[in-house]
Amino acid sequence: MNRAWASFWKTLVAVLRELADERAYERHLRMHGRAASGEEWRRFSEERLRQKYQRPRCC
Amino acid sequence: MGKLIRTGAWILVALAGAFALAGVALHRGETINSAWVVTAAVCVYLAAYRFYSAFIAAKVMALDDRRATPAERLRNGHDFEPTNKWIVFGHHFAAIAGPGPLVGPTLAAQFGYLPGTLWIILGVVIGGAVQDFVILFSSVRRDGKSLGQMAREEIGRAGGGIALLTVLLIMIILLAVIGLVVVNALKGSPWGTFTIAATMPIAVFMGLYLRYWRPGRVLEVSVIGFVLVVLSIFAGEWVAHHAVFGPWFTLGGMALAIALIIYGYAASALPVWLLLAPRDYLSTFVKLGVVLLLGLGVLIVRPDLQMPALTQFTDGTGPIFAGKIFPFCFITIACGAISGFHALISSGTTPKLIARESHIRPVGFGSMLLESFVAMMAMVAACALEPGVFFAVNSPAGIVGSTPAAAAATITSWGFPVTPEQMHDLARHVGEETLFYRTGGAPSLALGMAHIFSQIAGNEAVLRFWYHFAIMFEALFILTVIDAGTRVGRFMLQDFLGHIWKPLGRTSWMPSVLLTSALIVAAWGYFLVQGVLDPLGGINSLWPLFGIANQLLAAVALCVATTILVKMHGARYMWITCAPLAWLVTVTYSGAWQKIFSDAPRVGFLAQARLLEAGPQTAQTKQLIFNNRLDAVVCGLFIVLVTAILADSVRVWAGILRGTREARSLEAPFVPSQLEAEELG
Repeated sequence: MNRAWASFWKTLVAVLRELADERAYERHLRMHGRAASGEEWRRFSEERLRQKYQRPRCC
Repeated sequence: MGKLIRTGAWILVALAGAFALAGVALHRGETINSAWVVTAAVCVYLAAYRFYSAFIAAKVMALDDRRATPAERLRNGHDFEPTNKWIVFGHHFAAIAGPGPLVGPTLAAQFGYLPGTLWIILGVVIGGAVQDFVILFSSVRRDGKSLGQMAREEIGRAGGGIALLTVLLIMIILLAVIGLVVVNALKGSPWGTFTIAATMPIAVFMGLYLRYWRPGRVLEVSVIGFVLVVLSIFAGEWVAHHAVFGPWFTLGGMALAIALIIYGYAASALPVWLLLAPRDYLSTFVKLGVVLLLGLGVLIVRPDLQMPALTQFTDGTGPIFAGKIFPFCFITIACGAISGFHALISSGTTPKLIARESHIRPVGFGSMLLESFVAMMAMVAACALEPGVFFAVNSPAGIVGSTPAAAAATITSWGFPVTPEQMHDLARHVGEETLFYRTGGAPSLALGMAHIFSQIAGNEAVLRFWYHFAIMFEALFILTVIDAGTRVGRFMLQDFLGHIWKPLGRTSWMPSVLLTSALIVAAWGYFLVQGVLDPLGGINSLWPLFGIANQLLAAVALCVATTILVKMHGARYMWITCAPLAWLVTVTYSGAWQKIFSDAPRVGFLAQARLLEAGPQTAQTKQLIFNNRLDAVVCGLFIVLVTAILADSVRVWAGILRGTREARSLEAPFVPSQLEAEELG
């Protein structure tokens, strides 16, 4: 039961971090071999948000 | 032994579902407990997922986990990334669940709880979930292509252009109608208006926090933002009663509409990180939390449905919107049953995250079932209100009378007793001056939610907090749809205008940004103002127009899906998408025809224009006549566009089935998957 809860919690946090673009940021850092910094976040989020808000939103 | 137990369990689910569904459908006279509705819905969803979606996955799509998905083949760490199926599920659900599944069922409750409930349960199984599932599958097999690209490649060159133009037009109507929902919820409500106004500086604070103070800490700043928003709800009560600040935030419909238009323009033209993105993060988390809370609340409280199974308004004389149960119930409830907009999400971000083909089933079919459940919760919350209260909140003054006494007398004469004193007490309990004439669904849904939440946490004393919490939640994510939608509309327009004059297509050229933002805002702002001025409440004309447009987009998606199935299997499985397509075409064409040509002035745009022409001609009347004719033209344009794509599709199907046209598959070639299970963290 505890394992099931732990797994559920882990997945829930992962979903929230995906929705928050935090996981995408980690992937971005990994892919480009860079460290987290204010400048890097700004570069990442500008590109990410530009793409995100070009797609239609659901009603 | 295990198989026997599983078979027995599914027989029990089927029996429980059939029993509950029969109970819901046949129960008349007294109130019915919402547990019946919830049981019927859940059992049907379970059976549909277990059997129907499994059949489609195995026999029709032949989903194959050995085949590499675009997320694996085109992996780039940005769009294309193989992702854990539950994370994709959450991502997809958050993207498809907008205000539609909450507002549509609430408005359709005017027919009684039965028509909407049956349509939500059956529509999602036969139509909505199938559409999302097949489009997601098709996009995954085609490198994550969009609906427009698939329409162009599978059906013909015109298909893609029509899909794009339909989406732009629908977005304009959508933004206007949900803007009207917010305006009607906030007019004359300083508490609600202050709370929503406060979310803007909070969003700017969050944007600055994320960009300069704690870069990348989105969850952290969202928690801070949520705390600040809750504090603003408490502050809102103080502001509402303040001698100076109270009047500042007590705005009429037109003032709120203008404020929304200015806001939409600013959000479209400002840097996205400053206002739009932080609000979007916050609104996504609040939306998921409240939907979960509402689901739990309904399951725990299990309120009785006070609304009858069927009201007299099935005859087309409904006060919220006019029109008979067929086709208008099926147009009013789109999201939750079937929504064309979902096809854009299923062919947008989601297919690029799918790690294995078997994940398409829970994500495409499963998340649509969950959205349907949300729509069911909204229906329960609306129908748990006393019908007299429901109609008093939602009926426009032009229908029930312009004083509380007149409105209460009219609604009581329909057989739904309500008194001005009862409405006054209720308004006082939730901290409002009045709850009359708030057409649009948001306040009645907020009342229903507040009743359910207050029975779990608190009592009547905290009703006012929960009411304003629900209003804040609805307005917050409607505004997020408005600002993001305006921005997307601006990009689409720039893309189009760029073909005429190149600089207009440059998304970073400020004159183009300002011009196209103004054009998009002016387009939806026009319809919003039209709704505010409409003596019949605006929802009467705009919501059916939006519903028709959304369902016509679903028809476009189902044309694409059917074409793909015909290319894969000939006529054998085309019924899977053709059946919902035939239903949608019947419903939308019939609805559009009535909205344009019906002789009943409350239903037909042209009849309404003729009626106004026969009366005294003031500047406002002339404007209303023009608006009705414009609505008729827009409605006609939708039909022409979709007829073109439908005719093109039928031509392609007939060619393939007769053997005169090549059934060439445009799927990406098979590449064996190399993905390891541990890569999907």
